[in-house]
Amino acid sequence: MTREKKVTITIDNRKVEAKANMTILQAARENDIDIPSLCALEHLPSYGACRLCVVEVDGIRGFPTSCTTPVEDGMVIRTDTAEVRTLRQEVLKLLLSEHPASCLFCEEQTDCKNFQGTIRKVGVTTGCRYCPNDDMCELQEITKKVGLTETSYPVYYRNFPVEKEDPFYDRDYNLCLLCGRCVRVCNDIRLNGTLSFKQRGKLTTIGPAFGRTHLEAGCEFCGACVAVCPTGALSAKTSKWAGKPDEIVESTCPYCPVGCTLDLKVKGGEVVDVSADYDSPTEHGLICVKGRFAIPEYVLSPDRLAQPTILKPEGHDLLPWEGALDEAAAKLKAAGPKGSFIVVSPQLSNEDLFVAQRFAREVLGTEAILSPVMFDLGSDLRPFLDLAVLSESVDTIDTAAGILTIGLDTTYGFTPVGIAAKRAAKRGAVLVTVSADECNLDMLSEEAVQSDPARWPDFMEGVMKSMSGNGTRKKAASSFFKKGDRNVLVIGPDAIFSAKRGEIFESALTMRDSLGWKVIVCHPYTNLMGMLAMGAFPGLKPGGMRSDGALKLKDPAAVVDLKQKWKVGYFIGEVPSPQMPRCDYIIYENALPAPSGIDPDLVLPAALFTEAPGTTISCEGKILVFNKASAPFADSKPDWWIMSSIAERMKKGALKYASLAAIQSEIRKSIPGFSGKDRRVPRKKVAMEGKTAAARNPHGAGRVMTPFETFRGVALHDHVAGMKAIEERRRK
Amino acid sequence: MNKLAKKIDTAKGKWDKLKDNREPIVYVGAASCGRAAGALELKEAVKAFLDENKKSARVIEVGCIGPCYLEPLVDIKMPGQPRVSYNNVNAKTLQMILKSHFVNGEPHKKLALGHFGTDDLDGIPRFWGLPMLKPQVRIVLRNCGLIDPEEIDQYLAVDGYQGFMKALKSTPEDVIATVRQAGLRGRGGAGFPTFRKWTVCRESPGEQKYLICNADEGDPGAFMNRSLIESDPHAVLEGMLIAGYAIGASKGIVYIRAEYPLAIERLKRAIGQMREYGLLGKNILGSDFSFEIKIKEGAGAFVCGEETALIGSIEGKRGMPRSRPPFPAIAGLFGAPTIINNVETLGTLPNILRNGPEWYTRFGKEGNRGTKTFSLVGKIRRPGLIEVQLGTTLREIIFDIGGGVQKPFKAIQTGGPSGGCLSEEFLDLTVDYESLASAGSIMGSGGLIVMDEDTCIVDLAKYFLDFTQKESCGKCVPCRVGTKHILEILQKITNGEGTPDDLLALRTLGDTIKKGALCGLGQTAPNPVLTTLRYFRNEYLEHIKDHRCRATVCKPLIEYRVIKEKCTGCQSCVRVCPTGAITGPRSEPHNLDPSKCIKCRSCYEVCRYEAIAGDAIVIRTAESKS
Repeated sequence: MTREKKVTITIDNRKVEAKANMTILQAARENDIDIPSLCALEHLPSYGACRLCVVEVDGIRGFPTSCTTPVEDGMVIRTDTAEVRTLRQEVLKLLLSEHPASCLFCEEQTDCKNFQGTIRKVGVTTGCRYCPNDDMCELQEITKKVGLTETSYPVYYRNFPVEKEDPFYDRDYNLCLLCGRCVRVCNDIRLNGTLSFKQRGKLTTIGPAFGRTHLEAGCEFCGACVAVCPTGALSAKTSKWAGKPDEIVESTCPYCPVGCTLDLKVKGGEVVDVSADYDSPTEHGLICVKGRFAIPEYVLSPDRLAQPTILKPEGHDLLPWEGALDEAAAKLKAAGPKGSFIVVSPQLSNEDLFVAQRFAREVLGTEAILSPVMFDLGSDLRPFLDLAVLSESVDTIDTAAGILTIGLDTTYGFTPVGIAAKRAAKRGAVLVTVSADECNLDMLSEEAVQSDPARWPDFMEGVMKSMSGNGTRKKAASSFFKKGDRNVLVIGPDAIFSAKRGEIFESALTMRDSLGWKVIVCHPYTNLMGMLAMGAFPGLKPGGMRSDGALKLKDPAAVVDLKQKWKVGYFIGEVPSPQMPRCDYIIYENALPAPSGIDPDLVLPAALFTEAPGTTISCEGKILVFNKASAPFADSKPDWWIMSSIAERMKKGALKYASLAAIQSEIRKSIPGFSGKDRRVPRKKVAMEGKTAAARNPHGAGRVMTPFETFRGVALHDHVAGMKAIEERRRK
Repeated sequence: MNKLAKKIDTAKGKWDKLKDNREPIVYVGAASCGRAAGALELKEAVKAFLDENKKSARVIEVGCIGPCYLEPLVDIKMPGQPRVSYNNVNAKTLQMILKSHFVNGEPHKKLALGHFGTDDLDGIPRFWGLPMLKPQVRIVLRNCGLIDPEEIDQYLAVDGYQGFMKALKSTPEDVIATVRQAGLRGRGGAGFPTFRKWTVCRESPGEQKYLICNADEGDPGAFMNRSLIESDPHAVLEGMLIAGYAIGASKGIVYIRAEYPLAIERLKRAIGQMREYGLLGKNILGSDFSFEIKIKEGAGAFVCGEETALIGSIEGKRGMPRSRPPFPAIAGLFGAPTIINNVETLGTLPNILRNGPEWYTRFGKEGNRGTKTFSLVGKIRRPGLIEVQLGTTLREIIFDIGGGVQKPFKAIQTGGPSGGCLSEEFLDLTVDYESLASAGSIMGSGGLIVMDEDTCIVDLAKYFLDFTQKESCGKCVPCRVGTKHILEILQKITNGEGTPDDLLALRTLGDTIKKGALCGLGQTAPNPVLTTLRYFRNEYLEHIKDHRCRATVCKPLIEYRVIKEKCTGCQSCVRVCPTGAITGPRSEPHNLDPSKCIKCRSCYEVCRYEAIAGDAIVIRTAESKS
């Protein structure tokens, strides 16, 4: 590793060392010299628009901006001369003349803030106290730093209407300073390009081109712009008036297997907002709309199940936990072994899954540990698991020479994958996209192939033929990939839920195993790896992933007779759906009610991932943590506690867990890699015994259209307002 | 080389035939200025005349020869006779001229402007000896108005591409040394020594380098570059080849504003002709030098005349300047070393290379070598495009070439929206980069606007700030917000609502913007205000304290009235008044009702008896402000 070249510079008469490619601003900040700036931000390309960071440099004419000027050996810099200070103040005065800022200069501001004693002297549109960013505003900070106490320029209120029509975040461009951070993050970091500057002169503003709404312009609603905005111009709807958070809790997103790091903002004991972590190694902070905006409304939905209920002929009756647990135990005992099945959500934590499989095997005496994965994939389960378990890490794309995406649009999900692909294409990799309609990767693709999903297997055949030398038409996109190059195949949800997915999966396996392709599978089953690692699968014991050689799975249909008459179905974090087996008695353990039409007999309220800590395993095999950010809602309980309590009543001493730590210590014993520095689970090739054309699920061969975004079986758009618009666009 | 040499021979032959023409030639000045004056209709009329009278003649469209106030210019060259030029030709005089030459066999002495021969022609003066042309030194404009801009052969015949061929025979370093010796400074406005930028680019690492011709010419009213491209596109293109060769670029781009359709058309045609003649493409004329030229049209942004914004525009981005370093010569278009030269700078190069640098140093003065084109406009008797040596005084330009002003001279504005207004005391200032800068103005791209007492200096400053504020890209705070405040203050002052504090505010704002702005547009935007404050402070104070606009331009400060003693009751004003504010029977002094007056000045302008006065009558006193 080469050592970074260092240079010596003099800042304000101090000689300091700095890395050769730093800017003056960075070098100053590293040495505790704080030069005020507004438009500069770590991770964003430098811009030089606000002119607040100006300094004097010997040998450079005028007042260069420190955020754009790289240091050079021997440079002499002065950051705080009288002239520089005057210039900064004048620039700030000009800035404030376009921004409602009366509160900054009002004599009564302290009293007003503390006691609100003065009846509103200024209109809503003219003061900080009425701004969503009050107390969290960079402009307020800078005014203090620069020491501005008055201004003589007339304030010009631009009179933009507040933009509220798009989902998730509001835009009040009257507060916009045109620092350009949002434009830069959208274009240069997210590679999306929804935002740009419009008009010029005093009419300059920011937004999508041609007067389109953000939805129409292809905004991913990733909220990166909201996060970087220094003022209250961009604000998330749910947390707009919440004020400064009380604490920030780092956790993991539960909505998909990528497992992005999330910073949960807690106020008043509730999670009100979420932000990304740009230093996170998997996704580098490039999270999607679900993790960014669809958590608070889900967790705080007014429909949250608060107490256990039991279905009586007259309707639902509230039940204390004691009674509910007794009822559950009684019903399950009466059903006997082979009389009940459990359904686990692939979005449960490792600990919940571990306890669930123990519950099924040791307490119920059954291998009927079912999950939507089985029903969704049906007879295509084996190839799917083979591909998913060995799915490559996202950064594989960073060094790819060729990338082929099938059925993938990353606007509203799997954004780290999509952005990595865009970055690779910009770098020169060949990107070919195959989808039914336009997808968001088209613009940077070498060729965007739009065809019916039924034809996708043919395309893949074409690629394989071309790479094996049985030439296809030279100009066809399928011939763009060369053997020997690092080629990455990304299988998206639209492919996973298409009718001919079996052929797609088989081709993918051939490409992987015979032609050296790296495969990434983008599926919605957050903790699929956890399910397999914990053994929450028929015929698979925990630690099955430790065996040398292939991960041997049994065909579920061979292990469990799904056609039998079931007495009790115990749904843990999942919603009973038409594909799942019928039963006489439904025990429903979840956080939100089942959709109408389904009336569970016993309802047990579960706590969610922000209320009950745990771990999950990402598609890359990393073990990630859910940290507790708030107390369980009302009387809800963690899933593992519920199962443990029922078990206690059915078999004395079984599954007795005092705490999460107890579960984790037991898991560590059974599964290698669950502890250890790497925090990764070893992944093996998947083989499945049983007939290759496994018996079909009697309820149908799985969904053929990409399902709605759900969490624990419940559709996000039923509880998160903005997701309705998102789902509409996904299905256009 | 041989193929081209043959073509040159043929071209020279054709040119000689033009000079010793057997057939009459009618030249019509049909650049944009000519066309605006009606040249194309005249051209059709010429053709019609020839048809009707069964005469044959070649009709050639030429470019702009300079004195735009004389357009449309039609020149007739009869066999054995020198070319005779006629000015301000209209349908009637055209017939007279054509008849005179084609039927009577002689020039129309009364209507003739001048002739292009060497000897005297019966009382008709020599064209180049005319007072507005004599002091000029036409290097860049040497072919304008004389050749057909759509004929590469005519360009070749007048030694076109000789400069380039000489350059090819020497090394790029030699070419740079030549330009250094000649002392050429960038003609786009900054006046940076051309050879220095080229050297940095030449020495910057990188396989691919670019040469960009900046033909955006955004200054309102400036048309030097447009005229040159319309009238002699190959001069600019040859300059591009020379520059490209010197810096090691293989791709050239002409960034030309979309508002110049005729220039674009001529450029496209010329580039096509270059390719036919082997002057573009790989291994030009058998050398190692390969070059391609593309045209990129602008889209209506003044700021895209700024280097880095121009580069951004070509890259497909929004035209916003970026900070430097890195400088374009090191990392410019698509990150590659790039040189951006102005149209005129490039148009000068062929002459320097062809005639040698010592020849060029004969013109101008130490540190300011050579000539510069200017668009001399405004309240001047003889507006048009001129070219003079650097070091010429303003007085010479305005009074000798320009013919002076009719009403008393007030000021001259140089450098467009980035420049400043100079008062009468500066008439003996020499036109060169340093002198103008020391007076607070700049040379700029060459706009010279002459003003007389009818121009309100505050209104003029307001006009320029209105322009800069509208054109500001919006990126940096000082320019975007600062120019808006300056404009608002100027609007206040011209509305009669100014206060003495405003003058201090203007100075502070001007200072902040100059120091804080990111690019040249912002840094020079306050110049019109700062210079007018410096040299015409009294006029500002009059607006503020006396509520008076001495030029009678600022409407809120003037009220029109009839001077009864002078009014003869001729009713001319009554007829033109759009609101019926003036009433009165014939032969009796008229009445002007101020409440109906919209101050359109029609009466003022039509009155032959100077009986309408515009006075700054106090209409809003300090007390009456509500």
